Amino acid sequence: MLFAAINLLAAEGGESAAVNPVFPDSAGELVWGAIFFFLTWILLRYVCLPPLLKAREDRELQVQSDYEAAAAAEAAAEQVRRDYETTISEARLQAARMVEEVRVTVDAERGRQVLAVEQEIAEQRQAAMAELDSARTAALGQIVGDVADLAAAAASKVVQAPVDAAAVRPAVDDVVQRTGGSK
Amino acid sequence: MTVALSTQPLSILAAGGEGGGLKFPPVENLVKWPAWFLEGTVFEFNKIAFINFVAFIVPVVLFFIVSRKPAAVPRGLQNLMESAIDFIDVQVIKPAIGPDGKRYLPMLLAMFFYIWIGNLFEIIPTAHMPANARIANPLILAIVALVMFIGVGVKHHKLGYFKEVLFPPGVPKALYILVTPIELLSTFIIRPFSLAVRLFANMLAGHILLVTFSVLCITLWGFQILNIVNLVAFPMLVAFTGFEFMVAFLQAFIFSLLTAVYIGGALHPQH
Repeated sequence: MLFAAINLLAAEGGESAAVNPVFPDSAGELVWGAIFFFLTWILLRYVCLPPLLKAREDRELQVQSDYEAAAAAEAAAEQVRRDYETTISEARLQAARMVEEVRVTVDAERGRQVLAVEQEIAEQRQAAMAELDSARTAALGQIVGDVADLAAAAASKVVQAPVDAAAVRPAVDDVVQRTGGSK
Repeated sequence: MTVALSTQPLSILAAGGEGGGLKFPPVENLVKWPAWFLEGTVFEFNKIAFINFVAFIVPVVLFFIVSRKPAAVPRGLQNLMESAIDFIDVQVIKPAIGPDGKRYLPMLLAMFFYIWIGNLFEIIPTAHMPANARIANPLILAIVALVMFIGVGVKHHKLGYFKEVLFPPGVPKALYILVTPIELLSTFIIRPFSLAVRLFANMLAGHILLVTFSVLCITLWGFQILNIVNLVAFPMLVAFTGFEFMVAFLQAFIFSLLTAVYIGGALHPQH
């Protein structure tokens, strides 16, 4: 159909030489076209666009300024955060130092008290041991005397003659000594 | 003028003689418009001039409304118009000219809107005529682009601009016999010519395409059997209308972009 239409246009062009679809047959279109275009250009250039472009420029400056302010605020916030972290870490270090100092003090005090208690225990133990040795020695002496008396009585019964307990005493002492009487 | 196609099978459409057949509007009705007033003078005002007026008044009024008291945070119409500025700035000026191109924003913005709105009348009901399907507007805008990029070149490089363009550095001197006329033609003649013809031809072709399918649909509507062709022809008309909506924008963008490219080339001819 398009070709048919073009053919028709061509045929018409052949029929009527006065018709020229390309060039305007009056200067009016050129004149008004130029007038309206230059009016558009001039009014946009000098009336319409300057306030709008200035508003855009102001906005860009404002955005830039706000952006810089935001960047500055962000930097300040970052500085505050770093200060806070520094303070926190210093506080933690100080706390750790204090804890360490207290721990050392407590350890020293504990060691001192343990030592004192151990010394006291050792003294008490030594005293008890001495008392025990004394009691044992006394008991052993009593036992040795009793054994000597018993041995003298038994020997008197065997030999049908009186035996002096004092004479038996060295032998009993010797037996007691050999059988662990000092323990 | 009533023309019946003689080719098969459309010859059927012409069978009705004077009472039927495919009636294609004469070319005058497609592209030429009678004067509304000031007929016969250089200020003859017709439909094309009126479309030009709308293409002038719409962006000016819209930008004027938002420029009276622009808000710091754009909303609504201001947001829309600033998006247009951003579009020209980011998609046209920065890639074609660079950061120095801000000063050409008003011209390129005016050019873009003037072409785009003029093109949009191709698909606006009851108008159905793109202003740029006439050679006048593309010719004026191409001359503006030509004057602009030559002016920019001369302003920044004085007469050395012509030397840079006509005698490109690095070319053997003997080749200047060939290169210089080619550069002269391509830079100062073919550039504006191609700018104008590209816009004009695209819009005229689109206009004829839409008229063709419209005439076909209207004509087939009266034929009971052949009306079934409208099942294809009418969706094609709708599709081409959408296509031309895109073309209207695309041609405005291409014209603005190429103008910016030429200005950028004049600013930095060594590139």
